[in-house]
Amino acid sequence: MAEIDVLAPLDGAVVDLEAVPDEVFAQKMVGDGVAIDPSGQVAVAPVAGTLVKLFPGGHAFGIATGGGVELIVHLGLDTIELKGEGFGNIAVEGQEVQAGTPIVRFDRAVVERLGKVMISPVVSTGSGTIVRRASGTVRAGRDVLFVLEV
Amino acid sequence: MERTVTLGSKSGLHARPAGVFVQHAKGFQSQITLAKNDKTANGKSILSVLTLGAEQGDQVVLIANGDDAQSAMNELVPLLEGDLG
Repeated sequence: MAEIDVLAPLDGAVVDLEAVPDEVFAQKMVGDGVAIDPSGQVAVAPVAGTLVKLFPGGHAFGIATGGGVELIVHLGLDTIELKGEGFGNIAVEGQEVQAGTPIVRFDRAVVERLGKVMISPVVSTGSGTIVRRASGTVRAGRDVLFVLEV
Repeated sequence: MERTVTLGSKSGLHARPAGVFVQHAKGFQSQITLAKNDKTANGKSILSVLTLGAEQGDQVVLIANGDDAQSAMNELVPLLEGDLG
């Protein structure tokens, strides 16, 4: 058994996934994880791996590691409907990233003005079980958000 | 067996609907594959399904291989045609 640190992709306050106002995420149908109520402007890679998916509209991305771990960072809720407004992609789909590599820039004020909630689920959709989770506030690319046992 | 399906979900197979689909797909022993144009995805991996970039109205091919393939088709085809959220 190995433990893999998943870093916070965002600055902000940790929110229990069960408390996210979106039943698909709250019921962990996408996967287990932790949400962040973000205070910063840039989302970074939570682990090193391949940026397998980066939506053209920037509202979500997914990273796969060589070891079968998969993580999805979803910036805000129902934000696909904004079709990119409030988001700007920094990275390119398919590229190799390190933990902390900037992926997407976002503007919380724009997202909220357009009627969306900025709470951002970070979920594990591949191998591993979450054995520890952060609480309080976290810093993007610096603090561990949760630990996966693989 | 395989079937071509027109995606009904208004925002295509993005993270939430892909999550719902994969949750159902995992309930079958059969190997579940989704294909769009030249891309194929493991129907039991959300991230893999997301890489298709499938949007509403797109034609995707659902492929099920295994003992319970028929039941998988019966459950998964209407899911893809309906509004997954």
